Amino acid sequence: MDFTPTPEQQELKNAVRELATRECTPERLLAWENEPAGIDDGTWRAIAELGWLGVGAPESAGGTGGGLVDLACLLEECARGLVPRPVTGAIRAVAALAALDPASPRLADLVAGKKRLALAFDEETARTPDGWTTKLSGDRANATVDGTKAYVPDALDADLHLVAVRDGAGTSLVLVENRAPGAVASAVKTFGGDRQAHVKYEAAPVVAWVGARGEADAALASLWRRQVALALAEMVGGMDAVLEMAVAYVKERQQFGQKIALFQAVRHQIADMGTQFTAARHLAWQAVTRVASGTEQGHELASACAYVGQAFKRLCWTSHHVHGGAGFVVEHRMRFHSERAQSLCIRYAPEAPALSEIASALLD
Amino acid sequence: MDYDLSPRESAWRDEVRAFIAEHVDESLSRETREVGNEGRGPRARKFLDALRDRGWWGLSWPKQYGGLEKTAVEQWIFIDEIETAGAPMLPLTATSVAPTIMRIGSEEQKNHWLPRINNAEIDFALGYSEPEAGTDLASLRTHAELDGDEWIVNGQKMWNTMAHMATHNWIAVRTEPDAPKHKGISMMIVPMDAPGVSVQPIWVWPGLRTNALFLDNVRVPRSYLIGERGMGFYYAAMALNFERLSIGSIGMARRHFRALVNEVKQRVVDGRPLKNDPWVRERLARLQVEIDAARMLGLETAVALDRGGVPAAESSMAKIYVSELTQRIADTGCEILGLNGQTHAQEPSALAEGRMQWLYRIAPMLAFGGGTNEVQRDIIGFMGYGLPRK
Repeated sequence: MDFTPTPEQQELKNAVRELATRECTPERLLAWENEPAGIDDGTWRAIAELGWLGVGAPESAGGTGGGLVDLACLLEECARGLVPRPVTGAIRAVAALAALDPASPRLADLVAGKKRLALAFDEETARTPDGWTTKLSGDRANATVDGTKAYVPDALDADLHLVAVRDGAGTSLVLVENRAPGAVASAVKTFGGDRQAHVKYEAAPVVAWVGARGEADAALASLWRRQVALALAEMVGGMDAVLEMAVAYVKERQQFGQKIALFQAVRHQIADMGTQFTAARHLAWQAVTRVASGTEQGHELASACAYVGQAFKRLCWTSHHVHGGAGFVVEHRMRFHSERAQSLCIRYAPEAPALSEIASALLD
Repeated sequence: MDYDLSPRESAWRDEVRAFIAEHVDESLSRETREVGNEGRGPRARKFLDALRDRGWWGLSWPKQYGGLEKTAVEQWIFIDEIETAGAPMLPLTATSVAPTIMRIGSEEQKNHWLPRINNAEIDFALGYSEPEAGTDLASLRTHAELDGDEWIVNGQKMWNTMAHMATHNWIAVRTEPDAPKHKGISMMIVPMDAPGVSVQPIWVWPGLRTNALFLDNVRVPRSYLIGERGMGFYYAAMALNFERLSIGSIGMARRHFRALVNEVKQRVVDGRPLKNDPWVRERLARLQVEIDAARMLGLETAVALDRGGVPAAESSMAKIYVSELTQRIADTGCEILGLNGQTHAQEPSALAEGRMQWLYRIAPMLAFGGGTNEVQRDIIGFMGYGLPRK
């Protein structure tokens, strides 16, 4: 057993931490919230030049050919430092396309940050292929998409959408150009900073196929497990930050003539946060490494989902609590983490399906 | 033993409900959602005026001051019905400051302030906390020195909600620098238009506005120190005690929980009714049990007050339970609604009026505000069960 990252992974983490400390200040975080793209051009370009967007892409596309664990190290650190969600979204999207189609000619521009891709899977009342109603029509050369995808992160600014569609043949994955005739994205105000939109496709032309028609179910399932694993890493990064802030604050804040850390009731909350974080960190990384190597032995990913998401929210709650009013102002980093906690949990690690999977493993 | 409302209490509840049916409509609810607490919108003001016309600002006041002297259970019923309807709550001026002045003010002070409160000529913001004095209120540093017939006040207050709309501020201020810190504080009224008073907005996570209040050589008439010098710490505690019933009320959380339940009944996800999901059923059922329990803790406080008790431990139990339960309702609600659960209230597509994500954002404040839950747990130990303090 070895719980430490490789020297290369540690180097990447250090670079992210260095940039996040310098750039992701409370003032910038507030300013980015008011930027249409969620980040300013300069920071976006600087991050693209550092190569982060291409960590999950092959070298032939200008990427570094990293695996899931490398991506998880990168995203953990991004989440800890509150790197804007459009960046983490882009890292995820590039990695998704690269895993599905490593030879895609569109990867190079995405890796370079010149183009952006959004993953358009969910619908208002459907999160799984059987429920999706977005339709594919026409033959392979002239296919079009009709339907509405919902809560698509970064959809407004994306140049391309990777859309999951259905027809008689089954589920397919296709690329559609945003802003092309027939693709209209409209912003939906949510919290979490991932700039979501609902996208209505009306005879929107397919510009490229990703995989064979009607055969995307297995690829999607695998892609989604990797996306979930990355979310676990993001949650671990967020938890680490939230715990670190709580520890620092109780050691500094004085009431009744002493540091509040000296109150047992406060100390015990820190201890519980630490215990939950430690368990969550290992469950998450166990799941990430097992998914990465395809060596899952049971329900590691479901178990991590059920534990880590809930633990992250509890840590946020407790950290808010010990911060009191000081952590409740909009400028404070705490609320960014608390928003991301719920946002990540809802999308990637809802408790119900995870528990259901575990119950099935135990009982059925 | 009887867990039902008495005929008198039932009649009162029906009266409150009839009033609400007449004065609360969707446009008021919508305004409440849009404005938050930073601007009592025109509809909310109209509603509060109607309450005042009815004499209900004085629900808890003694009859000698024109109040209705309602029992604590009747007050609890009122709060519960108002919160269930999502209507604006009575201002703290009426529920906290006025009853305190009635108890502690001189005849002259009562004659001056109470009629002005009663006709809504003045409205208070409450200034207790400071940057270095939150839970430990007695360490506050804002101070006032007597100069002839005037106090000169200097210092800073935090979380001074409504200060930008109020006509006056009800502040705790150190007037006896040489006394032990609990005995050196007085309660004072500061007009917001006095020279040297300034307000800076503070925006907090749920999108609400509160304020920092700055007092720079503010001159206040000597008679604006209410009650006795040096008793302010105890008066502030008294004023907070008048909020006991509302601070432990489950009404707001239950209202949003019911909205959640109504959405779940109708929603179909991935082709399956959400209400058939065993996890959803178990979660909602468990929350309903907890809401039932929270209601009992609130009622316990009210009944104890009516029996002439000082239900410090009981009201602390209700405060802790409701604040922590609200967080569980919000969190579970967001998850049950799925991706829609993160949608802002301004979006027409937001289920349950977008209140689950708002509740998720406001819930931390319920636990650390109004006396942190750690202090409340200490109170239960000391006051409820006689645990030693040292």
